[in-house]
Amino acid sequence: MAERRRMGDELTRMKHEPLLDVEKKLIGWSLITGVILLGILVWISYTFFPAD
Amino acid sequence: MATGQAAHGVSEDWLSVWIGLFIFVLSLGVLVGADVLGWGVATAVWTDLGKALVPVSKAYAGLGGIGALVLTYLFLLVVMTIGATALRASVGKFVAGFTFVFWASYICWIVGSWAYLAATADRLGAYKISWSLSLTAEAGFLVALVAGLIVGNLFPGLVEATREAIRPEWYIKTAIVILGGFLGVTAAEKLGLATAVMFRGLCAIIEAYLIYWAVVYFVARRYFGLSREWAAPLASGISICGVSAAIATASAIKARPIVPIVISSLVVVFSCVELLILPFLASAFLYTEPMVAGGWMGLAVKTDGAAVASGAITDALIRAKALAVQGVKYQDGWMVGTTTTVKVFIDIFIGVWAFILAVIWTSAIDRRPGERVSPGQIWERFPKFVIGYVVTFLVVLLIGLGAPALLPKAKAAMGEANVFRGIFFVMTFFTIGALSNFRKLWQEGLGKLAAVYVVCLFGFIIWVGLLVSWIFFHGMKPPLVSP
Repeated sequence: MAERRRMGDELTRMKHEPLLDVEKKLIGWSLITGVILLGILVWISYTFFPAD
Repeated sequence: MATGQAAHGVSEDWLSVWIGLFIFVLSLGVLVGADVLGWGVATAVWTDLGKALVPVSKAYAGLGGIGALVLTYLFLLVVMTIGATALRASVGKFVAGFTFVFWASYICWIVGSWAYLAATADRLGAYKISWSLSLTAEAGFLVALVAGLIVGNLFPGLVEATREAIRPEWYIKTAIVILGGFLGVTAAEKLGLATAVMFRGLCAIIEAYLIYWAVVYFVARRYFGLSREWAAPLASGISICGVSAAIATASAIKARPIVPIVISSLVVVFSCVELLILPFLASAFLYTEPMVAGGWMGLAVKTDGAAVASGAITDALIRAKALAVQGVKYQDGWMVGTTTTVKVFIDIFIGVWAFILAVIWTSAIDRRPGERVSPGQIWERFPKFVIGYVVTFLVVLLIGLGAPALLPKAKAAMGEANVFRGIFFVMTFFTIGALSNFRKLWQEGLGKLAAVYVVCLFGFIIWVGLLVSWIFFHGMKPPLVSP
């Protein structure tokens, strides 16, 4: 419990860590890939696995 | 999903598989004329309490409701205590705790089956009552959740005393393994629809890992200034599958062990809030799109327990509403089946995602000399209960497709197994509530993490989940109950 309280203090006084390029790439590529894959999946779903 | 790994014992994951398969195999006795589980207790919607409980099979009618209930308790006590022993839990404490959890949960279920709470519009006459909340018998789940919340927040000492048996993830995973067989019957009857649901469920993987995670991580880092050690497990906890995703991610990026523990308590509390709100929202606005509602629960509600529980409540509420408003009587199980499919797909990639993060962290963010990531970690993180779910689903599906004449018997068998699934469900609801101590969370000063959670969950995840579920599942309807 005491350790968890210290965590609360740590969270309020957290030091700023700038976003690295690799993190930006991870976020950007995840989103781009995600949107493209969702589009492909929608097409496959409605073309090959219709609801009826 | 929690890992629930005992220090040196077997994991809750594997135990769920074995216990679920054990009950499943016993239920299959019906196929060869051996009614092994027919004494299990079923709870009927009641106006006369004396008629609330009955053995699930007429062959055991002589036992009476109370006899069936006591037998069911003893059976589960023995099976689960053997499991607790394998988990290296304290047997004495587990027996006491399980006894409390079982009876408290079951009483809630009986209360929830009161006709004024549970009876659907078409049954009011049969029960000779003029009104009902039409929550169906699943109202017992909500009663159990509320009772659990009361215990968890007002009687923390009782939770501590029974903690060995407060294991919602173990109960829900066992229920999901049993649920696989029930959904196998459903799929065998409507294979085309089941295939479409399963394929569309794949959207969940993309959404949870590639879209949710990226946005939550960005918001936590950029706008709330969280360090990487906190932001990555938190993003996994909010986006993927709650507890185990937070643990897997924390381990992948070498965060301190306390980080996922703190995040997990947050995940459980917020899952509980979602569980209380989203099924009712779905029932109010999505009763004309039942499968969208089912998919939405899987995409928006974190932790397996709360997600599948939300799916079950949504299934019940929407069937009741569709019947009352549209006069349409949907078969049960399709909405919760969609939720489960979506959730299982999300779960199975936790290991892969943890592996990817470990590679990125060790190679580009937090390089440590001589450190390498092994692909074996993917299997280590794989949620094993999924294996049990797939096995029970496929066995019953293949029986249904290979020998259609056996389908009615398979249905009866799964009906008997379903009794135990229901009990594991109601215990899940009760224990989720018992673990959700709002006051403790507030006292620990986790306001910043909670703020990220609130912003991402209510500002983004719930609505994108609804949108994606709509894109993939709109227009799909569960089959109707034959007149």
